Formats: sequence, C-alpha cells, structure tokens
Amino acid sequence: MTKKLTAGLALAGLIVLFGLIGPLLTGDPATIRDIGLTSPGGDHLLGTTITGQDVLAQLTHATRGSLWIGLLVGVMATVLSGVFGIVGAYAGGVVDEVFSLFSNVMLVIPGLPLVIVVAGFVPADQRGTWTISLVLAITGWAAAARVLRAQTLSLRNRDYVAAARVSGEKTWRVICVEILPNLLPILASQFVFAVVLAILSEAGLSFLGLGAADSSTLGTMLYYAQNGFALQREAWWWFVPPGLIIAVFGGALSLINFSIDEIINPELRNKVKRRRDVVATTPVVAPADDAVLTVSDLNVVYRSATPVHAVKDVSLTLRRGEILGLAGESGCGKTTLAYAINRLHRPPAEVTSGSVVFDGADVLALSPEELREFRWVKLSMVFQGAMNSLNPVTPIRAQLQDVLRTHRPSMSSSDREDRCAEVLRLVGVDPARLGSFPHELSGGMRQRVMIAMALLLEPQVMIMDEPTTALDVLVQREILNEIKRLRDELRFAVVFITHDLPLLLELSDSIAVMRDGEVVEYASAEEIYLRPQHPYTRQLLASFPSLTGERGALIR
Amino acid sequence: MTALEVRDLTKTFHRHRAVDGVSFTLTAGRTVALVGASGSGKSTVARMIARLVRPTSGTISLTSDGAPVPQRAYRDHVQMIFQDPFASLNPFHTVEHHLARPLQLHGRSRDEVPHLLERVSLTPDLARRRPHELSGGQRQRVAIARALAPGAKVIVADEPVSMLDVSIRLGVLKLLDRLQREEDLAVLYITHDLATARHFSDEVLVMHQGRIVERGPSDDVLLRPEDPYTRRLAAAAPNPDTRFRLGGSS
Amino acid sequence: MGYHLRKVAFYLAALWAAVTLNFVIPRLLPGNPVDILMAKLQQRGGSVDPAARQAYETLLGTGGRESFAVEYLAYLGNLARGDLGVSVSAFPAKVSDVIGDSLPWTVVLVGLATLISFVLGVGLGALVGWKRGTWLDSLVPATTMLSAVPYFWLALILVALLSSGLGWFPLNGGYDVVLDPGWSPEFLGSALYHGTLPALTIVISSVGGWLLGMRNMMVSAMSEDYVLTARAKGLTGSRVMVRYAARNAVLPSVAGFAISLGFVVSGSIVTEQVFSYPGIGSKLLQAVQNNDYALMQGIFLVITIAVLGANLLVDLLYGLIDARTRDRSTVS
Repeated sequence: MTKKLTAGLALAGLIVLFGLIGPLLTGDPATIRDIGLTSPGGDHLLGTTITGQDVLAQLTHATRGSLWIGLLVGVMATVLSGVFGIVGAYAGGVVDEVFSLFSNVMLVIPGLPLVIVVAGFVPADQRGTWTISLVLAITGWAAAARVLRAQTLSLRNRDYVAAARVSGEKTWRVICVEILPNLLPILASQFVFAVVLAILSEAGLSFLGLGAADSSTLGTMLYYAQNGFALQREAWWWFVPPGLIIAVFGGALSLINFSIDEIINPELRNKVKRRRDVVATTPVVAPADDAVLTVSDLNVVYRSATPVHAVKDVSLTLRRGEILGLAGESGCGKTTLAYAINRLHRPPAEVTSGSVVFDGADVLALSPEELREFRWVKLSMVFQGAMNSLNPVTPIRAQLQDVLRTHRPSMSSSDREDRCAEVLRLVGVDPARLGSFPHELSGGMRQRVMIAMALLLEPQVMIMDEPTTALDVLVQREILNEIKRLRDELRFAVVFITHDLPLLLELSDSIAVMRDGEVVEYASAEEIYLRPQHPYTRQLLASFPSLTGERGALIR
Repeated sequence: MTALEVRDLTKTFHRHRAVDGVSFTLTAGRTVALVGASGSGKSTVARMIARLVRPTSGTISLTSDGAPVPQRAYRDHVQMIFQDPFASLNPFHTVEHHLARPLQLHGRSRDEVPHLLERVSLTPDLARRRPHELSGGQRQRVAIARALAPGAKVIVADEPVSMLDVSIRLGVLKLLDRLQREEDLAVLYITHDLATARHFSDEVLVMHQGRIVERGPSDDVLLRPEDPYTRRLAAAAPNPDTRFRLGGSS
Repeated sequence: MGYHLRKVAFYLAALWAAVTLNFVIPRLLPGNPVDILMAKLQQRGGSVDPAARQAYETLLGTGGRESFAVEYLAYLGNLARGDLGVSVSAFPAKVSDVIGDSLPWTVVLVGLATLISFVLGVGLGALVGWKRGTWLDSLVPATTMLSAVPYFWLALILVALLSSGLGWFPLNGGYDVVLDPGWSPEFLGSALYHGTLPALTIVISSVGGWLLGMRNMMVSAMSEDYVLTARAKGLTGSRVMVRYAARNAVLPSVAGFAISLGFVVSGSIVTEQVFSYPGIGSKLLQAVQNNDYALMQGIFLVITIAVLGANLLVDLLYGLIDARTRDRSTVS
C-alpha cells in the first residue's frame, strides 16, 4: 500500500467516524441558547452560531447528512453507469448505439442548471434527501458510463473473453466473472468520484437554497452561516469548518483515486529521480583503425527495488559498412544495450561503467547539447513498431523536416523539401506521400519511411531494433533487400537487433549472441553458422527448423 | 475418420471478402497446417470454426453429411488455442479457475485439474498461481490444457507459438504433436511460418486474400510449390543455407 | 457518414432531448405551476385574460385538457418563433429580453475564465508531466485539493479576504452602477475590474482538473515510441515536448471538453450568486425563488444550447487537430 493510499484512507476514515459517532457524543444541534456567536473554547469547542447553537454538534450531524447523500448518489450513479456502460458495450450492435447515444446526450446537457430547474418545480416541502439524491444521480452518471464503456469495449475483445465463450460460458457469467473483476479498479474510482461530486453538488444546491428540506448537511450549514453573515461578523468558526470538512474529505478521496489510477496505469507512479545519467571512463584499449563504433566493457543496471544487471561487460566493435547482428530472446538486454549506446536509456536504467567510443570520442562523456547534436547526425535508429515510431497526428513531411530544421538550420525550405523527397525515393516510396499521415500508410510503407528518415543526414551508423518483426514475410524480404542495397550504396554500418537468428545469418557480417545481459558468443556469421561454440548458440540455431531440411528430425 | 468438415466457408466484412469459399476436412490423428500472411483470412477461419464469428455462408459440421450441431455438443467437440497466452488467460483468475470451469461446463469434475496439468507437462502445484506468475511457455501450456479440458476431438491452434520466445517454441509444438498422436486429435495448425508448418503437419493449405491457393501433402506443397504466391512465400523466408552451403561464403 | 455530419447530427439529437426534457419536466413533477404563475401575474398587475393563461399552459401543461401531442406541437411552434413567454419576476419584460440582457455577461465571464483555465491547466499539466520527478509534482495534489473545495466557500472566503479585508476588488456586481452600460472605456474598465475576482475563482477551482488530465496523458505519451524516436532524432527538448508529447497528450483533454464545460457552467451559476453578478445564472436563481417558471425554462434552454454549441465547436476543432478521426468514420 502506498503512502498516498494510506493517508487517503486514514483521512476519509476519520471523517466517516466523525459523522457516524460524533452525533452520539455531542448534544442536540438545534438547541438555541442566548450566547450567539461565542468564540471557540470552553463548553463549545467550535463556538456557537448566531442563535447560540453548538457548531460542533451541528458539524457532526451535517457531516453525517452529507456522507449519507454522497453514499446514496455514489451507489445509484455507479449502478446507472454500469448498466449503460458495461451492458451496452458488451451487448454491442443497436443496444450499444442507443445506450451510448443516451449517455452522451446526458453528458452534454449541463447538470446543475437541470437540477436547479427540477428543484425549482418541486415544492420545497417535497424536496427530501431521496429526491435530491435521485436527481443528482440521474444528472451525474454519464461521464462514468463513457469511461466504463470504453474499457468494456476493450476488455470484450480480449482473447480470454473469447476463450471463455469457446469454453461454453453463458453471457451473464462472461460479464460477471470474466469482465467485471477486471473493471473493479475503474468502478471503484468512478464510485469515489461520484461520492465527491455528489457532496459538492449537494453543498452547492443547499447554498443556493435548493437543498433537501428534511436533512441537515454541510451545505445547509453553510447556507445558514452565509445568511447569518458569519464572515462579515468574523465568525470564521461557523463558516470555515463545514467547507474544510468537505475539502479534506474530497482531498482524501482524490488521494485514494490517485492510488487507484496508479494501480490501473503503473506508469503514473512518481519514479525515483535519476541519480546520474552515465559514468564516463577513459577507454582502455585504443579502437581498431577502421572501427566507427567501439563499445568496451559496458554495464547497464536497472536501479529498481531489486537491481537488474541488464547489460554485463559487453564489448563490440563495428567497422565501417559492417552489418553487426545482435541476437537474443526477450529480456536478454539487447534493446537496453542499443539504447545505452545512444544514451536513450531512461531511469531507473543507468550506465554504471564502460565506454562507447564513436569516431574517437566517448559518447558517454558528451554534454547534453553535444549529445543532441551527435544523435541522428552520426547515429540514427529504426525502431520495431513503425506505426508507433511515427507521430500519429502530424504528416510525414513535418516529421522528416523536423530533423533537417534542427540539424541543418541554414538549409532553405525548398532544399529541405527536395532532400525529404530524395530519401523517400531512395527507399522506394513515392514523394507524393510526404503529405500523408502515418495511419494512411501500410505497415511496410511506414517502416520504409522510418528508414528514409534514418538516412536523412547520412549517418555513419544505423541501429535497427527488430525493424521487420511486425511485418509479413514478403514485406520483410523487401525491406531486408532494401537495407542491403542501401548499405552497399551508402556504406553506413548497421547494428541489426532481432531474435530471428536465421535472418541475421543471412544478412550480417558478424553476430553477437546475447543471453541474460552477456554476449555469450561473438564471431563472423559464417563461424556462428558452421562452428557454433556456445551451447546457447547451438540451442538457438536448433530452434529454427530449416524449411528445406530433413523432415521428421524434430519429432518422433 | 472425419472430425470436422468445412464447406464453402465465406465471411464478408463491410463488403470485403475476408474468407472466400474455403473448404477442407480435418481427420482424427492428423494435423492440417493453414499458412498465409497476416490479413490472408486464416484467423477468421479459426474464429468461425470456434463459433466466435458467424460465417456469411457455408457450413461447418462434425460429420461429412454437413448436419447442424447444437452449441453444447459442438463446444464439447471443438476447442481453440489462441495466439497470445498473455491475452488469452484472465489476469484476475488462477490457473485452477481456467481449467476447472471448462471441466465443469462439460460435465466433468474439477478434480481432474492436476491430471490436466500433467498432460501438458506442468506440475499440479501451478494450479494456485495466477497468469502473471507464469512464464510465456507455461501460460501457453495452460491454454492448451484448457482446450483439452472438455474432451475435445478437434483443436484449432491459431499461431500458438508466434508470441513465445524462440527457444521454447519447438517445445510447445512438440507437445501439441504428442497430444495429437496420443489422443487421436484432429489439429488445425494456423501459422505464417512455413518451416514449422512443414515439420508439424501432414497436409498444408496455403491461403492468400481469403482463398486457398494451393493444398496437398506438406512436402509436396512447401518443397515443390506450384502456385506463384506459395513460391514467393517459400523464397522469402530467411534461409542461411543458400548463403553458406550453396552460395559459398560471401 | 462523414465526421462533421455525424457530429452535427449528434448535437441536434442532444438539442431535441433538451427541448423535450424542458417540455416534460413541469408536466411530470408535482405542483400546479400555471396557477402559481397566474396568481403572480395578477399581483404584478398583468392582465389575467384567457390568452395569457393559454400562453403559460402551452409552456407548462394544461393539466390534461389537451393531449400531450397537441401541447408538444404548440410548444415547439412557440420555440421556433423564439417566443419563450413573459417573465413574471421582471414583468412585463419578455423572457427572451431578460435572457438577452444577461447572457453576454455570462458568456464573456465564463468563456474567458474557461479559456484561461484550459490554457493554464493544459500548459502546466504538460510541464508537470514532462518534468516528472521534480518539485513540480507537488502541483498535482495541490490543485486537485482546490478542485475538492466547495467552490462558493472558497469564493466567499476570497471575497472576505481580498475585497472586504484588503479592498483589492469590488464586493459584488458586474460594473460600477454609476456608469452607463456601453462601449465607453470607463465602463469596460469597470466591467473588467469587477469580473477579475469571479473569473479568478472559476480558474482556481477548475484548473486542477485540466492539469491532472493533461499530466496523466503526458506521462503516457512520453513512454510512446514516437517520443523516443523524437529524442533519438536529436531534437531539442522543447520541440519534443511540444510537437510530439504534448501535441498527442492534449487530444483527450479536447475530446473531454464536454464533461468539463458542464462543470464550469454549473460553477458559474454559483459564482454569479456569490458575486451578485448580472449574468444568466443569477437570473435563473431569481426565477426559481420567484416561481418564474417561464424564465426558468427559457434560461435552461439557452444555457443548454450554448453548451451544446460550444461542444460542437470543440468537436469540429478536434477533427482538425486529429486527422485519424476524419478517416476512421469512413472506414467503419
């Protein structure tokens, strides 16, 4: 349990206790005495109202009244939003259309004016707690229904729901047993929000003189305090406490909601600040003559609760025009290594020792501004999901031109346009596509655009992280041929990262096999293929049956 | 013996023919591989056989006479293994729940859970765990056990290993192969990977743009393809043999 | 159906729902509003002839003499002519004139305050999300706390401190009453001076919602691959933050404008009450206190139309800033 959640629960719990037990311990809040507006102290811990009523006694009863309305509205609004959000989304089709239209209409019709109109038509003596709660619930459920609907739509398409249907589960069981438990955090957060909103709205209504006639709430208390000119008479003890209780209760519930949000979306948690970015150590070995990138004894550690040594003493040398394959399975540290080379790793990842020498300079020692100027000019990257690597809301042109604008500020706008068209042509994409948005291109086309972007500044090194994994075999073949051709024409070096060892054997000059952060074998592609030394390399090789190899060797 | 008969299966989404006149037969004790690129319609075929998607036209039946089958009997007979074991197990429930429910739904006792786990080479103590406590390979084995629970005779495996780490893929495929032989199952193995399709199936169907463009015994189709699309597919797969054995070192 | 067409159709449906709600509420709720209105009218010296009664009955119901359908058609007909009836609290003014006088005050106050609050909240939210792990993080709980404070309570305390105590702002009203309303610089200056504290209180209480939403989306956007790519491209930090992270993170805030606008409008009604501001909100309350049902209904309708109109505008704007929405509707 986080600190926020503890604090939120404790504060909210205290206020609930105050409302539950308080009225039993204090006297009658309605008793009128001739000691109006006494300051706090003595018999009246929080002083008295203008008619000499005890403020503390009133406060306990008012808190109880407000909490009760909050609870009533919270339950009713959550039930309504569940029915319209969850059931509609699961049923789909016309039911969903109608439910969703209804929720959206309810959402855009402003709530308080509607409540005021309704309250205005209902005679004051008929405005009870239940009436007010019902009206607040009816005007307050729609936003939650929209959130629940979106989430249910996403859950409905999960494979585990499909699997439950294939098992023969009935619809109500699929909703209640498979979907609902996964919605609990969101339902809880919507409930908490509805309670806060109800208490605030009720206070607002009471302040306007339109609250429930039969109950005393924090809102009615404020109404009387305001009409008794509490602030003008400087009787702050009468006016401030009711508002403060609402504020603290609302704040406590917000803290609880923060914690729920963080459970739903762990990224929102505040992370520990990065202590240091990298350590630069003077390279011990002078790099080879034709080496363009030399990684020596690089170590990367994730400084989480249980530190993970993601990259262990890795040393690699990339020569001009070479394709170096980095092979390994998920979690072996190959992507962490690639990011660390360009210092793209994020906290809690930290480079603890080693050096990355590029053209005689240690990348790890560059200042932030030098690092920014180094990126893309000397070393560019192509990431796995091209759909996600391109900014979805701007056209391709803007994303290509951004690079030139930043790194070639003196370039004229027509030269920029020409250069962007030129790189697109290089990778076989029609320059007319410059105006397209990423979602208008096919997967293969997007990856070509990413490669074109990586070529813009003619870097010496390109790091490609699983650039073809998400693509079809046929498209993958085209992209691989393109990479080989461009490498031969433009003589840049490539670090190609993938789990697909056969692909690397066909494409690369040398291969480093990684497991658990270590390079277990590093040799030419031919050596790895014909004479693998490490048992893990042999195991990986055996994991890819050859299409043309002898049949039945794997089984029987 | 015919275990599942698919005849003239067609599915249209928004005027687009995702599956177009597909017919084939699954037989007990044999594996049929359905290969194709993404978007070829192969997953839609799987979902129609699992009765998750309603066909636009065509029939799926358990006998060669094409007679309609009631839902419960169909679910007893036909089960499916999904592609992503991270998505096909409910994060909220234990392994026990995932296996006990299908057992109970099909008139069996939940006491069979340990035995089911053993059949997929998992230890019974896993039953109390939740999906996030398992490795990818373990999860997929649980998913296979779930498909076996109702006593199904037809298993549709939709890309069952493509989301798994490479070094454990063959293990899962070998498990499926062993179960197929030991329990005389009819298996439809759906994949984009021609190599495993060849090694783990008796017959191959190649699907392209909703149609089956080539079919036949695995070796015939994949080693000596006749359809131009199958040829391109076979030529596109990375194959280091050509570089180091036939082409010499480059 | 195209994106724009679908949006317009939706808001027309919402408008129809609001109009119908306005028709149904007085007929379903207890009480006899027409009799009350006629009594009020008599007090004010208005004519209580059958024509006046019929006008109110069209609005509020005949008590079963006419069928619902006939009443509904007559009601729609009156609306189409812009005839909202006669106000009894401001007798003999027509409801439409009362609304016309007070609406500009509210539109300017609420419009400006909402705009300031949105820009401030989204801007701060982007910054807080971008600089995560610094002291800026503490802005999130602080502003959320402010959103949980009862709005009028905070406003009254601010009035007590800043206006009564320090005398920085006027106590209430929309302008100095000695001035004649008009476009004179004195009057505009006075209106601005009187509007500052109400606007400030609206901003204070609503900025937290924008800030939190934007901050959360910013955090999600920052872990997206396109932001990683932008950093790898060697772009300057500010460019990555604005063009890549914030540009995407702001979309849900814009899409969620509907929800927020409802809250702001609700808040502004209370604001006007606190500051005795001459806007449409205080007219609504005045109508409720005086049982001026015709004015109540007219104001509800106008507020709803304004909110729907603002939402339609924002939705159309959304189509401009996210190209995907325009295409999605044609695909599925």
